[in-house]
This record gives sequence, structure tokens and C-alpha cells, in this order.
Amino acid sequence: MYVPTGLFSLVLLTVALGAQALTPSHHLSLSDVARLQALLSQPFTDLASAYYSIVGLSKLGASVADENDACHFLKAQLDPMSVDSLFFAAEASQAISDCEIPVSNETRDILLAAVSEDSTVTQIFRAVSALSSLGLPLASQEVVGALVARIAKEDNVLAITTALQTATRLSQQADFGGILEEIEDLAARLDDLGGVYLQFEEGLEATALFVTAAYTLSDHVDTEPPLKEDQVIQLVNSVFSKKSWQSLSEAFSVACAAAALSNNRFQVPVIVSAQGPATVSHNQPILQLLVTDVLSNPLASASVVVESAQAVVSKNVILTQAPFSLRDGIFELNFMTSQPASGYYQFSVAITGDTRLVASQVELKVKVSTEVAITNMDLSVVDKDQSIGTKTSRVDYPFKAKGSFTADSHQNFAMTFQLVDVNTGVELTPHQTFVRLHNHKTGQEVVFVAEPDSKNLYKFELDIAERKSEFDSMSGTYTLHLIVGDATLENPILWNVADIVLKFLDEEAPAAIQSKTLYMPKPDIQHLFREPEKKPPTVVSNAFTALVLSPFLLLLILWFKLGANISNFSLSPSAVLFHVGHACMLGLMYVYWTHLNMFQTLKYLAIIGSLTFLAGNRMLAQKAVKRIASK
Amino acid sequence: MSNSVISVISRFLEEYTTKTSNKLKVVDAYLFYILLTGALQFLYCLLVGTFPFNSFLAGFISCVGAFILGVCLRIQINPDNKGDFLTISQERAFADFLLAHTVLHLVVINFIG
Repeated sequence: MYVPTGLFSLVLLTVALGAQALTPSHHLSLSDVARLQALLSQPFTDLASAYYSIVGLSKLGASVADENDACHFLKAQLDPMSVDSLFFAAEASQAISDCEIPVSNETRDILLAAVSEDSTVTQIFRAVSALSSLGLPLASQEVVGALVARIAKEDNVLAITTALQTATRLSQQADFGGILEEIEDLAARLDDLGGVYLQFEEGLEATALFVTAAYTLSDHVDTEPPLKEDQVIQLVNSVFSKKSWQSLSEAFSVACAAAALSNNRFQVPVIVSAQGPATVSHNQPILQLLVTDVLSNPLASASVVVESAQAVVSKNVILTQAPFSLRDGIFELNFMTSQPASGYYQFSVAITGDTRLVASQVELKVKVSTEVAITNMDLSVVDKDQSIGTKTSRVDYPFKAKGSFTADSHQNFAMTFQLVDVNTGVELTPHQTFVRLHNHKTGQEVVFVAEPDSKNLYKFELDIAERKSEFDSMSGTYTLHLIVGDATLENPILWNVADIVLKFLDEEAPAAIQSKTLYMPKPDIQHLFREPEKKPPTVVSNAFTALVLSPFLLLLILWFKLGANISNFSLSPSAVLFHVGHACMLGLMYVYWTHLNMFQTLKYLAIIGSLTFLAGNRMLAQKAVKRIASK
Repeated sequence: MSNSVISVISRFLEEYTTKTSNKLKVVDAYLFYILLTGALQFLYCLLVGTFPFNSFLAGFISCVGAFILGVCLRIQINPDNKGDFLTISQERAFADFLLAHTVLHLVVINFIG
């Protein structure tokens, strides 16, 4: 898709927000036309490129750099046996004055032979065009028959478009009925993108060629093309949305479409745009509009009228049916004569004068800006209990108050002023009215908003005690600035009104340092590793180890006293094996503790254990036999 | 009151030294040894603290397990209990004792860390 579908959602939003009458969002500005011409003015590489360049430029109303050279090129490159070659040369030569392609009977025969049901539509088109450009006779009805037959076989967009183009070269008496219907059928195949773009999925070239063919054919048969106004505008958007063209044929198709749209008998889309920003003010009271066709040619025959101009905020209608005057190709209207208040206005503009005009109803947003003046600026320091009378000082813009004001926690500082429109004297309420207090020494800056009351009188009151946290209780001299700004103001104001000395009760120490260190590197955090648990001193552990092992000695002593002995120990192999195995198992336990894991231990245990078990079984059985025998 | 306690104890000791066979006394000595070891381990834990807890548990459980297995062995080889253990000979009791101890030691060593 050459229209990026990423735009789709944006487009949808735009459409959803404000689709009254659809107006063209794209056209060829003068720079675009120049770029198109430059692209078409490339040196010729072959006959096809020569055709595109020469004919394309002629559609734009320009011509090739050197016509003679071009003509020689055409004659030299011409291959009289090829229909395509003849087509390119013939068409191009028509666009150049004084350029004749030599024609022979053979040429005519070749071209006539190409007009048949067996050739492709493109072949038929090229043959017919060549015949017509070279002034050779052709049978229009035959061509129509061939075309209809081919359309049935080649049912694609490009083929049908080419068929339409072919029909424009035939005599007006031919029966175009079937072919004319194809325009509507093709239009139905267009893809609607968000209600803004209408294009073929085959691309820009196909869409542009379709536009050209539709209008050329409609003009040829003097029948209005079956395209609705919205469709025309959507086609305009599609064809002119791309501002750099990839190939010569694409550029050629756009040039043809532009020519067709700006100069046909039925539908001419009109482009309305403001010259420069759509802003008027006292210094520049004139609103200038450019009314052109898609090629940015001004429409001199048009007359432009403001149907209504309505203020966006108050919905008051300021103007109705006011005409624009034409001067040097630009339509002008002095809006300030209606004395509009500053703000935004919705203009509904109608363009008349030509029945062919499409999208002749346009909505425009116009800004009226003005200059603001500050009047009646009064500053005063008021005691909270109001026992002492207030002393008000009047300050005039742009001067600063003489002497500074002192205020402490028992007092309020008050400021009142009015904002008026310089030209009309009307009171204004701009978007931004700020009071900024700045302490030079500590770099502190506190900003407050001044708000208007019901009579549009601005008031600002600073309660020192209440606001001390904003100032971090830093006493000192603060410069006071008034900031006024708005989109419709031409002179935003930054005015140093006065100096105030603020005295706070408790002064807090270095708050300023905090702001300075805010962007300095923070102190390093040292990672605290997990501290090992506190172990008892080695002496204690050793003592208790000895203590725990001591009962073993006691056991040995007791056994000795009881007379336990190993005199009955038989040295049979199973007994020996058993004891060895058992000792190994105990040894394995120790090794398990120090080196092995459970799996390895179980493995060894299984081996040693089974041996020990077998030996032990044997040994105990022998012992049992001995015991029973001795009983 | 205390008189009767002392007399009971002395009677018991007398009966013990005369009536129990040597074999049983050997096992009893072993049991006493295990008991002391366990008690001393517990005392250490109370005095010094439970670090490292898993080692203490392993040692203590080892003592407790060994004591229980020893008691089982004593019951099984006591000739007075022959009627309760008709199918289990002395050697069999001893073999069971060894097997159970193998498993106990495996678990204890695993846990001792």
C-alpha cells in the first residue's frame, strides 16, 4: 500500500471528529509540480521514457528542453515493425510541435493487424492510439467489438482502464454503451480507506490512470462521469498523497491525472488554503486565501464568499455572506472591519462561479490575535487583622515600583490589575497569568496563579504565614514578575513589577543546598554481607567436647567392672568379615560426613551393608546354634 | 515420708544388683552412658546457645535414638520377657539393633552438617 496504513487510525480519528463535507487533504503544490516536472525532464533512455517525459510534460503545460533533439531521438529510436515502438513515437511526436513520424503502408498494416480480438488490450490501445496520432483511418466499431471481447477475457483493473483509454481515441459516433458502464464497475472496485482515500489495490499508477481514463472518456462522449463528489475528493487524496514518484510511468500517470482533474468538462476539484498562517490582527487585518485546482493553478473565474464566520467559544456569528476580493490571484478579506474580539473563528467559505467545482464548501479556522495591556496595577501590603490601613501603590507597565515592599507573617501581600485589549478596550482573560517570585541569593522560585473575579479584575493575594512552606521559610528579597501569555496574544508579557522583602518567623537552614545536591551523585551504599553468627569461644567448645566424650570412659570402666569380655570371640571368617564390614560402615559414616553426598553413601552402604549382613547372619546363626547346644 | 522413699530406693538397688543378669547389666551400663552423653549435650545447648542448631539436634537425636534402640534390645533379650517375643531370638534382636542403628546413623550424619 503506498498510503501507509499506519495513517489509517489517524485518518479514522480525523474523520470521526469532523467530517462534514469532505475536502481534499492532498494536492500538488507549486513545489510538487516543479518536482514532478523535474522528474519528467530526465534525459531519455529509450522510446518509452521519451514518451512518458514528453507527453507527461505536455500534460503539465510544460515542454521538453530541446524539442528538435527529442524529435530526432524519436525518429532514430523508432522500430517501424513494433506496435509499441510506433505507439510511443507517434504519441510523443504529437506532443512536440513540428515533429512528423514517417508512415508507410507497412506501418499501417501492422497497426491495423494489431486491432483484433487476439491481441491484448494494451496492444489494441497502442495500435489505436498510434493510428489516430498518425492520422491513419481506423474502424471504430471493430475496435469496440474487439475491446468488449478482450475485457471479458482480461478482467483486471489495468486492462479495463486501458480499454477506456482506447475508447477515447475512437470516433464519437461509435457505440460506447458497454464501455461506459465499465467506469462505474471499476469505481466500485476501489478500496475505501477510512473515508479519506479511494484507491485500487494495484497501486497509485492504476488509480491515476483510471482517473485519467474516466474523465477523458466522459469528456469525449460528453456524459457526466458516474463519480460522486466524495469519491472524486477521495481519489484526489489518493493520487496526490505521494509526493515523490518511483518510476517515470508513475510520474506520468500522476501528471495525466492532474491534468484530467484540473481541466475536464464536469468535475474540477478546488483546493482552498490560507496564504501563510490563518491569523488576522490589527497589524495584519487581511485574511488571504489561495483558491486553486489540483495543479495549484489559481481559479480566476471563481468567486469566494464567507457564508458565515462564527466564534468558536461564544458561538456568535460575526459575518455572513461577505465576499472576498481578488487581488493578484489571491482572494482577500479584511476581517478586522467586523471588529471581532480576539479568539478563534470558524469560517464557512463557499466558492462559486463554475458549475464544475467539486468540494466548493470549505471550513477554515481563523485566529484573531490582539495585544494586551495591563492597567490599574495596584500593590499593597495588608495587615491580617486589618487594623492598620492599607497603602496601595500604583505601578505602570513597564516600570518597576519605586522602593520595595516588606511583608512578614502578620501581613498579606495583595496585587490587583486588569488586562485589556489594546485595540478594543475589552477585558481579556488570557490562559496564562502567573506571578513569579524569585530569590536571587538562594535561587528559589515560587510561581502562583492570578485569577480573575467575576468582573474580570485579576487578584493575587499572598498570605505570608500560610505559604511559608513554599518558600522554605527563607526570608529575603524576592523579585516579583508578572507573566501573561495566550495563543491569541501577540505581545506576551514578562514584567518585573516590584521587589518584596519577606520575613518569616522561623528560618530553616540550608534548604538551598538540598536543591543543589539533588543532581549530584548520591553517597555510595556499601553492601553489608551477612555477618557470621557469634560463636562461643574455642575454649568452651573444647571443654564441652571433652566433657561429652567422657561418659565413654565411664562406660568402659563399668563394663570392666561387670566383667564384660571378648573371650568368646570365635575367629571364624564370617565373624571377622562381619566385624570388618561393620567397622567399614562406621567409617563410611565418617566419610559421608566429610566428603560424600547421600547418593554415593547409599551406594557404598548397599555394598558394604549386604556383605556385613550376610556375614553377620552367618555369625549370629553359628552363635545361636552354639548357645542352644550349650543349654 | 522421705524414709519410705529411701527404703524404696535401697530395696530397688539391692534387687537390681542381685536379680539382674550380667548381660542385662552390660546393656544398662551402655544405656546409662548414652543418657549421660545426651544430658551433657543438652546442658551445653542450654549454657552456650543453639548455634549451630542442626548439629545440636543431630547429636541429641542420636542419643535419644540410641537410647530407645538400646531399651528395645534390653526388652527383647530379657529372658523374663521370653513369652512376648517367641519369634525373636537374641541374635535376631541384636541384628535388628544393628540395622536400626545403621539407619539412625545415616540420618544423623546427614543432619549433622
